[in-house]
Amino acid sequence: MANFKLLAEYYLFLKEKKEEGKKIVAFMSHDNIPEELIDAAGLIPLRMIFAGNDELMDASHDFLAPSTCAFAQSCIGAFSIKPEKFKFLELIDYFIVSNHCVSDICASEVITKYFNIKRLNFYVSYTKTENSLKYFKLELLDLKKQLEEIKGAEIDAQVLLNSIKKYNNFKKKLLEISNAITSGSQKLKIFQKAMLYGPDILPELDNIDFEQPQTQTPTKSKDILLTGCSIFIDDYLNDLIEEGGGNILFFDTWVGFNYYHQVIEENAINSSKNPIDLLTHRFEQNIYGDHSVPNFLERKVSHIEDFSRNYEKKTGKKIGVINHIIKFCDHMSIMSSHLKNQLKEKGIFVLNLERDYSRANRGQLSTRIEAFLEMM
Amino acid sequence: MSIVADELIRFSSVLKMAYNFLHGRDELKRKKFREKKKLISVGLPFSDLVYGFPDLIPVLPIRMHEFEIHKYLTYLGSSSKIFGWDKVTNFLGFVKDLGIKDINQTVEDIIENVITTINSKYNEMYDIGVENGISTDFCYGVKSLYGMNVSKGKNCEANLNYTIRCSTWNKYLESLKAIGNASKQIWIEIPPRNIGNALELLTDNITQGITELEEISSYDYSANALRKHFQTANQIRQSYKKIIYDISTSDFYPCNPATFCEILALLNISFHDYNSNAIRYKDSITLLLDEMKGRINKGIGVDVSKRPKILITPMFGGWEPKCHEIIYELGGRALYGDWDLLRFLDDIPISNMTDPVEAYAQFLMNANSHGIGADNDTLTDSYIKLAKNMKADGLVFVQVFGCHSVSNCYTMLREKIRRELEIPSIALNFNKMGENVEQVRTRLGAFMEMYK
Repeated sequence: MANFKLLAEYYLFLKEKKEEGKKIVAFMSHDNIPEELIDAAGLIPLRMIFAGNDELMDASHDFLAPSTCAFAQSCIGAFSIKPEKFKFLELIDYFIVSNHCVSDICASEVITKYFNIKRLNFYVSYTKTENSLKYFKLELLDLKKQLEEIKGAEIDAQVLLNSIKKYNNFKKKLLEISNAITSGSQKLKIFQKAMLYGPDILPELDNIDFEQPQTQTPTKSKDILLTGCSIFIDDYLNDLIEEGGGNILFFDTWVGFNYYHQVIEENAINSSKNPIDLLTHRFEQNIYGDHSVPNFLERKVSHIEDFSRNYEKKTGKKIGVINHIIKFCDHMSIMSSHLKNQLKEKGIFVLNLERDYSRANRGQLSTRIEAFLEMM
Repeated sequence: MSIVADELIRFSSVLKMAYNFLHGRDELKRKKFREKKKLISVGLPFSDLVYGFPDLIPVLPIRMHEFEIHKYLTYLGSSSKIFGWDKVTNFLGFVKDLGIKDINQTVEDIIENVITTINSKYNEMYDIGVENGISTDFCYGVKSLYGMNVSKGKNCEANLNYTIRCSTWNKYLESLKAIGNASKQIWIEIPPRNIGNALELLTDNITQGITELEEISSYDYSANALRKHFQTANQIRQSYKKIIYDISTSDFYPCNPATFCEILALLNISFHDYNSNAIRYKDSITLLLDEMKGRINKGIGVDVSKRPKILITPMFGGWEPKCHEIIYELGGRALYGDWDLLRFLDDIPISNMTDPVEAYAQFLMNANSHGIGADNDTLTDSYIKLAKNMKADGLVFVQVFGCHSVSNCYTMLREKIRRELEIPSIALNFNKMGENVEQVRTRLGAFMEMYK
């Protein structure tokens, strides 16, 4: 019910923006989309961060093979079936086709082609070399041009810089929330809502009292680091973990750390003359993104290891790692056995939890999570 | 009894190519240990840059495996070193014409063995890949490539990795670091789109890749050596395209249509690394084209004018090899042309360019922009273009389980086929060779009914 309320309110929020004459730009891509550019153009960025179900996945099979990532399937299904809770999707004016992964390309293309939404392009380099950064800058400039055509005017550099600062502050706030002592479910709800609304929600975030968590502090539960794929809005996975006696302490996922750690340093902001260079700089600094090759795995392992060691030092306990793999996710699935083996060698418990969004999975997932927590 | 055996022996070039493919292990071992050459692992037809260095040898890792080769093919291979391939195959043709049953049977065994051996080795690689931890959710191609690298990657000094639109491919390449081989990973990023000075960036990326190859090689990069190789590579491409377009679209084949498909399948596999010897491969494919033309000119072959042309694609990442045999039995003829679809058969524009690196950058950017494509709209246009150019009467689309890239666009393609080609099409699901043959037979049976 809480999610229905969130989505219904979000519909009203977007409707209001539309009435103000603003246009909405949606995208599936998990990472590297410069939402500041969209914001600076006076448009509203909308992240597709909604979990699926059997109906949504089935509906996508008219367009893509069933062996497409379950999240991508569900995104298509949301446009195809148009369930009441996703009413706000009707308000979308533009959709960015990007290459976070090939399923992102294919599903975004289907959404623009078959559901009559105008297409924007933004493709991201895979490596992080000097030339890749130069290419990323080309894409930024190209997207800027596309957005300026929609706006009918140039995007002012100062306005863009202000947007960058605004999103920077927003991410810093989310980092604070991440460090707060509260349940995983509360953190997740805040992250999800915040990433949906963007910096407009900052005043609400400022008013959360972290000293007195809204839910009971889970002192007896087993702490978990969630990595891999995100838990999206309307997903039951976090409930299963908490019902099993676990608590997600750290969301090492796109909805979570991968998003809010991408803060641009103040000295970089102050010293840069070109805001596009700042966005390029942030792309360079985004070393944990799963889109990039060839160092994603080793960075992921070392990041989790550092977190785990610090946690152990602080609490004297070991943290468990759940690697959440949405079925047919290229990035997470292919690395999953290596990630598990490498972390195991370092004495870290890992559960590779692969699933799609079908209801039938719930029981099996629950059993696996419980067994893992018990083993811990 | 193989329906292809009768015909394959007429082409010495085919036996030679098959022998060079299957005997790769011995040859590569010799090169590596006796001649101190260094092996560079490649996947997809991205081997060209390696040929710029005389002591580096590109290899599709499956070729480092030992194949169970029919003893007579081994004998033929040895004989050919003394007598030449022409004489060996002429002799086989001669004894076959005599109708000596035992010899006929042996010859057929040899040829059948070549094709089934390669396919079963691919399946073995698939199994090795899965046993070593790659998820079964990935496509056949990636699973088998993973298996090849797990089992034989350690013999290579480096992997030459190009990024493409398929994220599974890019991540599979990254995962090679984790399988425990000490091979160096050389990355060349192909910018996803040709915007701004992306071509210039690609040129620079290739230059950096060359620098890394130079670190492995005992030779310095030579523009002349690379240019010379590109000329050879272009000759290979020209002969390949003539086989695909001039021969396979004609009404008279130099052999029966199923045999023709076996040859195309062999070309498809061996094109990845030119069997580690581009000049020899160029000679073989040129000879193959000549042999085909020669037979057609002499009226030796099969009238196929009544057989509908069925394009089977994509097949480079795995397909059911029985398809062409079934289509043949059902009165049609199958066509394959994947590498041209992905624009790997376009010329490397060396003649117009002074710098071979720039020429190769242009070639790769073209393949990325117009072949394999940045998105499905481009990719489906490539399928349509191939079907048009091959004058296909029907299209069998291979929907590879776990493929999120080149075979994940059938809905869009089907619409374009209806609108632009007006030919029947069908999608066949594929997971592993030999897994689903009866279902394939039933579906193709229904499909081919449309032509009766």
